[in-house]
Amino acid sequence: MVTYHRRMHDDDRVFKALADPTRRHLLDRLFERDGRTLTELESDLEMTRFGVMKHLRVLEDAGLVVTRRAGREKHHFLNPVPIRLIHDRWIDKYTERHVSALSELKTQLEERR
Amino acid sequence: MTTATALTTQVYQVFIKATPEQIWDAITKPEWTARYFYGARISVVPDAYRSLGPADEVWGESDVAEFDPPRRLVHGWRSMYDPDMAAEEESRVTWEIEPQDGGYSLLTVTHDQLEGAPKTAASVAGVGWMMVLSGLKTVLETGESLAG
Repeated sequence: MVTYHRRMHDDDRVFKALADPTRRHLLDRLFERDGRTLTELESDLEMTRFGVMKHLRVLEDAGLVVTRRAGREKHHFLNPVPIRLIHDRWIDKYTERHVSALSELKTQLEERR
Repeated sequence: MTTATALTTQVYQVFIKATPEQIWDAITKPEWTARYFYGARISVVPDAYRSLGPADEVWGESDVAEFDPPRRLVHGWRSMYDPDMAAEEESRVTWEIEPQDGGYSLLTVTHDQLEGAPKTAASVAGVGWMMVLSGLKTVLETGESLAG
């Protein structure tokens, strides 16, 4: 039987969390300035507060956002470590040779047009 | 208040398949840190945090505020490997290790009190702590060392 540990940073959760434009937007907002509150994060989204909270929860479960309370406020911090681990697992695996061969092919094809 | 907290605190987390004792050793003993912490040989004892570069140059020297193996470590941070950052005020690093199911531990690193150290804050954000924590996980889980 497969056991899923609570809040384990497994790849599935990270990929799922990243597969949504609103959630990527929230990560970008935290990248610009870390530690924002829910009120700050919802200000430029046309979405209910509840909707934003749901997206933040998915990001938190994937380990991409870590929250800290300071008095009455809850601050959201971008945790880039799971993305780095996916990079190590998936990008490094396909050697640089392959990647550079493909980008050279792209350059050549585009120059011909 | 909100802005101050936002700009002066950074929080990082990683799950590592290791016991809290193994993680504690890996963050307090120089033979471990040299393998994933940009080559720094860091030793932490109850009253002193010291980080040395490859040629024994001092990269960091601070007091230890809390030393509670294998769960909690709090020490000062000064980036003495860079003259501009070394001139900044000291900030604070908190390591928290919580055992989880399945032989995992959750490691949380909080770097705060960065009010008087904007250059250090920019330097350790982004790739700084991210590389240290992904490197630490790799070293503990696979036994492989990282270059640099």
